[in-house]
Amino acid sequence: MPTVAAEPVIPAPILLLRRIGKSFGPVRALEDVSFDVRPGRVHGLVGENGAGKSTLVKIITGLEEADEGEVILAGRAVRFRTPIEARNHGIAAVYQDPKLFPHLSIAENIAMGAYPSGWFGTVDRRAMIDTAREHLARVGSDLDPKRTVAGLSVAEHQFVEIARALSSDVRVLILDEPTSALTPTEAERLFAVVRSLRDRGTAIILITHRLEEIEAMCDDVTVLRDRRHVATLPRAEVDRAKLVQLMVGRPLEALFARRERPTIGEDVLRVEHLSLDGVFDDVSFSVRAGEIVGMGGLVGAGRSEIAQTLFGITPPTAGRVVLKGVEVAPQSPKQMLARGLAYLPEDRDRDGLIMPETITHNITLPILDSLSHWTVVDRAGERRLAESASQTYRVLTPSVETIVSALSGGNRQKVAFAKWLATEPVALILDEPTHGIDIGSKAQVHAMVAQLADRGLAVLLISSDLPELLAMSDRILVIAEGALVAEFARDEATQESVMMAAARQRGGKR
Amino acid sequence: MSEAPSVAARPGSRNLVEVVLRLREAGVVVFLVVLGLAFGLATDRFLSVQNLTTVASSAAILAIAACAQAIVLITRNLDVSVGSMMGLVAYLTADWAATHPGITPVEVVAIPLMIGTVLGAINGLLVAYGRVPALIATLGTMSLYRGFTYIYAHGQEVTSSRLPPWMLSSVDARIGGLPILILVSIAIVAVVAWLLHAYPFGRRLYAVGSNGVAAWFFGLRAERVVFFAYVACGFLCGIAGLLYAARVGTVTVVLANGWEMSSLASAVIGGVSVSGGSGTVVGAALGAVVLATIDNGLVLLRVPEFWRMFIQGAAIVAAVAVDALIAEAIRRSTGGRRR
Repeated sequence: MPTVAAEPVIPAPILLLRRIGKSFGPVRALEDVSFDVRPGRVHGLVGENGAGKSTLVKIITGLEEADEGEVILAGRAVRFRTPIEARNHGIAAVYQDPKLFPHLSIAENIAMGAYPSGWFGTVDRRAMIDTAREHLARVGSDLDPKRTVAGLSVAEHQFVEIARALSSDVRVLILDEPTSALTPTEAERLFAVVRSLRDRGTAIILITHRLEEIEAMCDDVTVLRDRRHVATLPRAEVDRAKLVQLMVGRPLEALFARRERPTIGEDVLRVEHLSLDGVFDDVSFSVRAGEIVGMGGLVGAGRSEIAQTLFGITPPTAGRVVLKGVEVAPQSPKQMLARGLAYLPEDRDRDGLIMPETITHNITLPILDSLSHWTVVDRAGERRLAESASQTYRVLTPSVETIVSALSGGNRQKVAFAKWLATEPVALILDEPTHGIDIGSKAQVHAMVAQLADRGLAVLLISSDLPELLAMSDRILVIAEGALVAEFARDEATQESVMMAAARQRGGKR
Repeated sequence: MSEAPSVAARPGSRNLVEVVLRLREAGVVVFLVVLGLAFGLATDRFLSVQNLTTVASSAAILAIAACAQAIVLITRNLDVSVGSMMGLVAYLTADWAATHPGITPVEVVAIPLMIGTVLGAINGLLVAYGRVPALIATLGTMSLYRGFTYIYAHGQEVTSSRLPPWMLSSVDARIGGLPILILVSIAIVAVVAWLLHAYPFGRRLYAVGSNGVAAWFFGLRAERVVFFAYVACGFLCGIAGLLYAARVGTVTVVLANGWEMSSLASAVIGGVSVSGGSGTVVGAALGAVVLATIDNGLVLLRVPEFWRMFIQGAAIVAAVAVDALIAEAIRRSTGGRRR
């Protein structure tokens, strides 16, 4: 390397990640991630949902331990066991949702973990308040340090968190989607602070979904995909299109076999001008019999909220829902189930299944009434139904009396399918049906969804997995910031076009 | 879409939450004064010096138990074994004093404190490290400690005649006209309040109860904090048990039965939140005074005994309802709803 001296001065890295790997049980959460973070530069960390960014941050800050690889800070290998240790070494993180103590004062929050001590180890309150004021000033905030955190706005929270990070002489500051809950003005203020920190030599790792933030802020970019490291490049060498391609860059593998030309019938689910105040606004679309309509977008864009409104969990504030030609006002899941709409929630372990119960009890729960004679449950009938459903949906289990929590993620998802399909719906909403399950089960779930559509069900498929969305959907809707921003026919959609539409800047629609 | 609803658009709720959090103790004091005036108007015997001293004396021990309960409540846990710990400590101490005539004052103080600390540590181990829900764990030890007292005592009580006379007379002594019991209680509450206020441990106690997820992300060792909260609770119950024994003289196996309820009631009435993170031990002690005042006033007004439990229950339910409203306001004001 003879030309080293001729290159522009790039400071030596402060933080080196070397071949970091991590598993949760049988699931690989992170594999072989290596990159360098340099002082005085902003390092973007991007990837689709579930690409492994959060796990990586947790490893760097000591919330999780890596199974493989090394974290090298200022030339020394480190292995933090708690975030306090990491902070003492100058690494701190600020998360997208506030992680402060609402009942304590701002000063107490900022000083937490490192209280200035006075007489006999007591907290020196005056020093604590003065330091807090100083750190708040550094982030351009004039909040009164004596105020309690309860009652601060999200943006104010964010600034207090950054001030707290600064209080520990931070050398590496990690910002995990810091602007996701901020208005553009607030975000700009936050970035002004970030730039001034950068100029004073702090290394910044910025995790974001917004491509324009990468362009505006970052000097380097690292892309993760499917929990692996894809590339680390100077920002100047990548444009938006290239970035998107790196993020989604999987070929449409054989795994995601596209469906044969389906036979599509009448409108089954029609949604007109549906709104929920402050969450989503004026959403209209329809799903026809035998059709799979994909719904793409970033996390937090409002897709799950739309689904939950349709299913009656949070009734809409405006708009109409027409199911099989009959208008319904979604009021409760029970009512929507009775009308023929079923919803598989994203977090099936929390919202979709009763973990400590048997497969049988889970599957028959929504239809117990129809399985009962004179209010007494027909146990034999219950078991027969569970057994045939487990076979239909290929649940791998020794018996239908197995406890659901003992099953793998893929098998749990199949139980959730069986449960909702036992209600014999005409329309089905799937919210991230393959999130967190292994490749093999994924393919089975896809086959199952295709089969259901072929039987004439109307399917609304919410997915952040672009290849899946493209392969499965007959039409794709894109939601951004609570509004329907784009619709693609099956043949027009590409990973890039969907991603671009989803990442469209706030206020940039219309 | 219209500009996202500005985050600064709720100055009203912000101030309200803050004001409420800060003024809870003041609210208790105001309530106490109103209550005192009402009883004073209803019966002329209430506002006599002698009667007020009686009220303060009966509040004195409860205030310590309420402090103990408050420390655990602040971490978003609960201790229903408070009464049983006091009972066991009182019985073992009295029994020891009765069977060891040469016992010194130092021993009389040290023994209950040690026993209380051990009992509290058992609760702490179960809840903090064993991850047993606080209600279940301490419900268990409540029976366990009380049951142990029964077994140990064989149904016998320790009569006051068997205790060293100085042990009984010391709590009745007066300094400057005030019973020592009251002064000791005030001193203990003040010291605990100061410790929680001045030391980092106090801040961690509130932090863990305020937002457990944030504590984890921050790297606070919540288990350790919760464990020591229970140890402190047991220690204070040791003090309370000793004072109770000295005050009543004759120690029975059912001493302080039901005090888990009164300590909880005092703390909650005094503004300690059952959802954690908020309230002070001073508030809890004031709550004890409120409870003692209600009790005394009802006796003076010749309200039948049966009503007292009902009214105590109503006071708890009312206080918890107010607390729930405040907790909800806090949740909403801290970005509880995100886009």
